Amino acid sequence: MPKWLPKDNLIKFINQVSAHAALFAQQSFYGHYHLVPVKEWQVDKHTFGAYRPFEPLKSVFFPPRESLGSLFQPNSDKDQPDRIVFGVKNCDLQSLRVHDYVFLHSDPIDPEYSRLREKTMLFTFDCTDCLEICFCTAVGEQPFPKSGFDINFSPLPDGFILESGSVRGETILTKCAPLLEEATASQMAERDAQRQNLSQRIARQATEKGLKPGLDFQKAVRNTQESALWKKYAADCVECGACNMACCTCHCFLLVDGLSAAGNNDRVKQWDSCLYRNFARVAGGANPRPLRAERLYNRFDKKFNFFKDKLGTYACDGCGRCIEACTGKIDIRDVLAEALHES
Amino acid sequence: MNPKLYLPIAATLEKVVEETHNIKTFFLTPSSPLAFLAGQFVELTVPGVGEAPFTPSSSPAISDRLEITIMRAGTVTERLHALAPGARIGIRGPLGQPYPLDLFQGKEILIAGGGVGLAPLRALLFALFEDIGKYKKIIVRYGARSPEDIVYRQAVEKAWNKADALDVMTTVDKGNAFWTGHTGVVTSILDKNKLKINPAAAVAVVCGPPIMMKFTTLKLLEIGFDPDAIYLSMEKNMSCGVGKCGHCRLGPYYACKEGPVFTYRQIMDLPKIWE
Ligand SMILES: Cc1cc2nc3c(=O)[nH]c(=O)nc-3n(C[C@H](O)[C@H](O)[C@H](O)COP(=O)(O)OP(=O)(O)OC[C@H]3O[C@@H](n4cnc5c(N)ncnc54)[C@H](O)[C@@H]3O)c2cc1C
Ligand code: SF4
Ligand code: SF4
Ligand code: FES
Repeated sequence: MPKWLPKDNLIKFINQVSAHAALFAQQSFYGHYHLVPVKEWQVDKHTFGAYRPFEPLKSVFFPPRESLGSLFQPNSDKDQPDRIVFGVKNCDLQSLRVHDYVFLHSDPIDPEYSRLREKTMLFTFDCTDCLEICFCTAVGEQPFPKSGFDINFSPLPDGFILESGSVRGETILTKCAPLLEEATASQMAERDAQRQNLSQRIARQATEKGLKPGLDFQKAVRNTQESALWKKYAADCVECGACNMACCTCHCFLLVDGLSAAGNNDRVKQWDSCLYRNFARVAGGANPRPLRAERLYNRFDKKFNFFKDKLGTYACDGCGRCIEACTGKIDIRDVLAEALHES
Repeated sequence: MNPKLYLPIAATLEKVVEETHNIKTFFLTPSSPLAFLAGQFVELTVPGVGEAPFTPSSSPAISDRLEITIMRAGTVTERLHALAPGARIGIRGPLGQPYPLDLFQGKEILIAGGGVGLAPLRALLFALFEDIGKYKKIIVRYGARSPEDIVYRQAVEKAWNKADALDVMTTVDKGNAFWTGHTGVVTSILDKNKLKINPAAAVAVVCGPPIMMKFTTLKLLEIGFDPDAIYLSMEKNMSCGVGKCGHCRLGPYYACKEGPVFTYRQIMDLPKIWE
């Protein structure tokens, strides 16, 4: 049953659940929400964010540069503390389907991802606002989570509706029962109206960009491989890789060797970008995708074709981060709209 | 779950044999036995430099000593070639899928290699020899650039041809004053009449540079091989080797995981497979 957390009990709730866990939350600066580690919750600083933060959630489970240890050294058993991420939005939550598929559900299991994922609880939030670049409704999502969270928070003016989505989440709600009430039917109705309003707003703004809900992007991408549109957009690409780094679903990485500060031969798992010229280059210089247009197409092929087949969903949840990040001002919505138009 | 999925174990370099001016065979002893099947590959690490994928060329029946034949081609292979016996390197694997030997049983097997591509085929030959009675006939056709570029010279010319069920022929693109063998690219020794093979009851296994694989495949189709009966080793850029890093994608496949060996049928409709 949905619970009600009155606003006045929020800090008590946070203090209680965070007593034994490291926290992440959102913090607003430089015009964005940012995903930050929290030592101690500060009311004037830490928030749940109204929409997704600048940093993709993947960085919590799959850090940009992660040392995998030194070569030929015994395993240093890392003691992984429990963690809670506050304020996860649905786009980021959905992106974990891609990472779970790659790192957990496809053999062999990635040990680092598995350890971090297992020890981390996700406290998700309904979006209460959106960016102009959000288009989650166009890829079959909505600005609130339906499943996959530990606890979801739906903010209302005087408090929050809390729903558990896992055994861990349910346990916490039970433990925190003294701080909670039963959510009322009118609170639920208010929440649903709020959700619907924002969904409609996002659907409207995405539709204005040519992306109404329910379009077949897989077909659009499949049918346009030979189109000049990739060349046209790739002309603005400077191969910075920002689209991949910012993207909450991009999972590609490179194993890199080098010396650690301590002088050991370390191996590092580092985010990589399929837009980089050498991403698929083999020894001797042969390259299956020598042209930027081919590499740009490849990015869309992987997201809207490969993953649609493997996973049943696109590896894009409409977060708009790549639009924000692109040095060449390439807008994924324009690219998709044009591919749809041509297919 | 393997907590060291991306980390190698140590291996000692015991011996290095110079095959050609740019190819050497490395004899390695892994710190614990590393059992592989023909067609599977490993990642070798030069500490502090990096990792690269290679296919053992020694017998899959032996897991405590591995031979790997490596062409000097760039950063990691350059550093490998500079190593002397006694050096400690890293090895990770086995990775990828082996040749489906059970599907080869009762068939004639045509093995076509180009350049250093003979290396993985050598491991395959060792595996076939283990159970030679199960296969009808084994034909090896090997092409090298010049007589100086032939790998396993000893083995190719002497030992292999002695086995009864084996028919080996080598060609070079360009001969020299001492070369008495065939001259021409490898497809020139894949002539239907001279091969004495029944494509309907045979499989072909091909490994070599992309251009060689392309023309060999076309030739095999021409002489009647089915796309299902042609096995190709696809060289893709690889990093993780376990289907995570995304580098080796080939259409719906990760070459490191579903490959590196594919039937031509699996990949024939994908764009630009030879590049
Ligand atoms: C399954 C498999 C089995 C193989 N088996 C054998 C074998 O048995 N014998 C053999 O000789 N070869 C084999 N190869 C080929 C071998 O892996 C390559 O020759 C080797 O990777 C070359 O590494 P290198 O560092 O020397 O070459 P380089 O060309 O220096 O590096 C190759 C790698 O580094 C990347 N790279 C190079 N320069 C740059 C740059 N400027 N920026 C970013 N990235 C860069 C490339 O994209 C590639 O990943 C095999 C390959 C595969 C996939
Ligand atoms: S492709 Fe762009 S919009 Fe889609 S999930 Fe990645 S960053 Fe977000
Ligand atoms: S962010 Fe834009 S410019 Fe940078 S690699 Fe991606 S598409 Fe190219
Ligand atoms: S090498 Fe990493 S996915 Fe194949």
